[in-house]
Amino acid sequence: MKAQGIALALALAAGSAHAEGNLALYNWGDYINPDILTKFTQETGIKVTLDTYSSNEEMLAKIQAGAADYDVVFPSVHMNDIMLKLGLLEKTGINESATFKNIDPANLRSKEDPKSEYCLPYAWGTVGIFYNEKVTGPINGWQDFFAIPEKTGGKITLLDDMREVLAVGLMMSGKSVNATDPAEVKLATDYILTQKPKVTAFTYDIATLLTSGDIAAAQYFVGMNMITKPIEGMKYVIPAEGATMYQENMCVLASAPHKDEAKKFMEFFLRPEIAAMNAATEFNGSANIPARDLIPEDLRKDPNINVPAETMARLQIFEDTGKALKLYDRAWNTIRTTQ
Amino acid sequence: MCWRLRKLMTRQNLVLTTLLAPVTLFLGVFFLLPLVIIGLFSILSPGLYGGVEWSFYHWNYGRIFGWADGIDEIFEPIYLQILLRSLGFAAMTVVLSLLLCYPVAFWVSRLSPKTRLFFLFLVTLPFFSSLVVRLYAWLLILKPSGLLNSALMGIGVISQPLEILYTPAAVVLGMVYIMVPFMFLPLYSAVDNLDRALIEASMDLGANRIQTFFKVILPQTLPGIMGGAVIVFIPSVGNFIVPDLLGGARGLMIGNLVEQQFLSARNWPFGAALSMIIMSVVLLVLLSSLGRAKKAGV
Repeated sequence: MKAQGIALALALAAGSAHAEGNLALYNWGDYINPDILTKFTQETGIKVTLDTYSSNEEMLAKIQAGAADYDVVFPSVHMNDIMLKLGLLEKTGINESATFKNIDPANLRSKEDPKSEYCLPYAWGTVGIFYNEKVTGPINGWQDFFAIPEKTGGKITLLDDMREVLAVGLMMSGKSVNATDPAEVKLATDYILTQKPKVTAFTYDIATLLTSGDIAAAQYFVGMNMITKPIEGMKYVIPAEGATMYQENMCVLASAPHKDEAKKFMEFFLRPEIAAMNAATEFNGSANIPARDLIPEDLRKDPNINVPAETMARLQIFEDTGKALKLYDRAWNTIRTTQ
Repeated sequence: MCWRLRKLMTRQNLVLTTLLAPVTLFLGVFFLLPLVIIGLFSILSPGLYGGVEWSFYHWNYGRIFGWADGIDEIFEPIYLQILLRSLGFAAMTVVLSLLLCYPVAFWVSRLSPKTRLFFLFLVTLPFFSSLVVRLYAWLLILKPSGLLNSALMGIGVISQPLEILYTPAAVVLGMVYIMVPFMFLPLYSAVDNLDRALIEASMDLGANRIQTFFKVILPQTLPGIMGGAVIVFIPSVGNFIVPDLLGGARGLMIGNLVEQQFLSARNWPFGAALSMIIMSVVLLVLLSSLGRAKKAGV
């Protein structure tokens, strides 16, 4: 009885005048502006919880294992396709919302969902090179990047990610980052192996080392600009030889317990001012056309963040390689084992 | 009399069964069942998008041990190399943490009860904070401009920063750091129970310090050494956080390989097969060393 009373009191205290239920988001770490969630709760009374993951596969494995409590997930486009094939996503009809016209058709990248009947394009960005210009001098692309250790004694790092690292090798060999031909993956492996002695580490944990000057340059997601941009001499470049881009879509799970609330959140995110709030803190590209004009000027004018068409042309996005993923796995094991 | 005894026995059995039932159930559900699932998955075919397909598939082991079709599955000796390397690192962790803890255990056991308690508390203190946070702290200590290098350069021991971060040395350091409490506690309890009268007797009977150590002290503390070694060795073999954070992922360990199969390669059965192999190797190493210890009369 007493416990019930307390629970009731808590519910009354937490919910606002029009309490409507909950919404459970499962997103990448540091990938949504928390103010958006607060604002959504203030407006709708829907309480939002946020859990995070660090790879598409981690999320997929959890959902496949039956983590049924989540409503909304944010898979990359190729994982969006996989999840659709596996029947894990709910058809939301978000493309019929009045404000869907805000979305740039160029961002409808899912092959399985070309009209966005299921998911909503969320955010996109590039993977490029962060560098400390005081140490490295100007850097244009991968060739300059791998020359840093010999030229300046500065240290460089790549991501601890098999697709991203092999993508560098593939692009430098003039191949698609989605190559499924063993000979092409071998070329990429050999390229990375010749560079490995110069690479200090494969790691995601680079922000502190880069800002303290212990690392001169690193392959990383454009989002780290939120830390490095205010620091003098810290620069970000989309490599001249080619770079990968990513896009995540906002999807509702077929198993979602709160589908109505989830759709409300999608519609909330279609508002330009909300999408712009996210782009301003995450330094990502927005799929929302009117939102692009609401982003702070210094971001809008930075060609490495607000990417012009000629740069777009040298970006490649990951697709699901199906069975060929094994090629990548083996190549990555070889790269990491060879001393 | 006999009847009464039997009644007592059955009652005892009943009590024992009742007491053990929750533990047995717990282990059955949370240890044996997952183990059976891992074993089963390791002989199933990988699903294209993770998970398994329900057909028998022996290539998961084949690609490790040398039979593979060469098309879908290719045999590569690197998996055994990675396993050996991980065993080597685990062994090194055991030896170093033993060398570090053994003298300290003696020292602590001689302190006054109050200070002793304080030191035992200090040993367990690291458990109060997250492992990942503590390893990040090591990253900040070891980096070229970090605490260690600035201190050493400040007192003039070195003129160039030492390159420790992202080397195998950093991995070993991190592992030893994590494992020291696990080594120390069983060692300490063995040392604390050491019968000092036997040491005196040994000295009185003419044995020198070295003889006393090897003939009296070492055999008496051997159970503690074995206990510590086992508790340190097992988690060290499969550790993947330290090689990632402090080793910069440059050298692949078996733990990383397993993690990668589940979290990026979407090959659960291969990950399961690797886990089964780790478990069997660890079990073999343990049984053989315990067997040897038994022969030595522990």
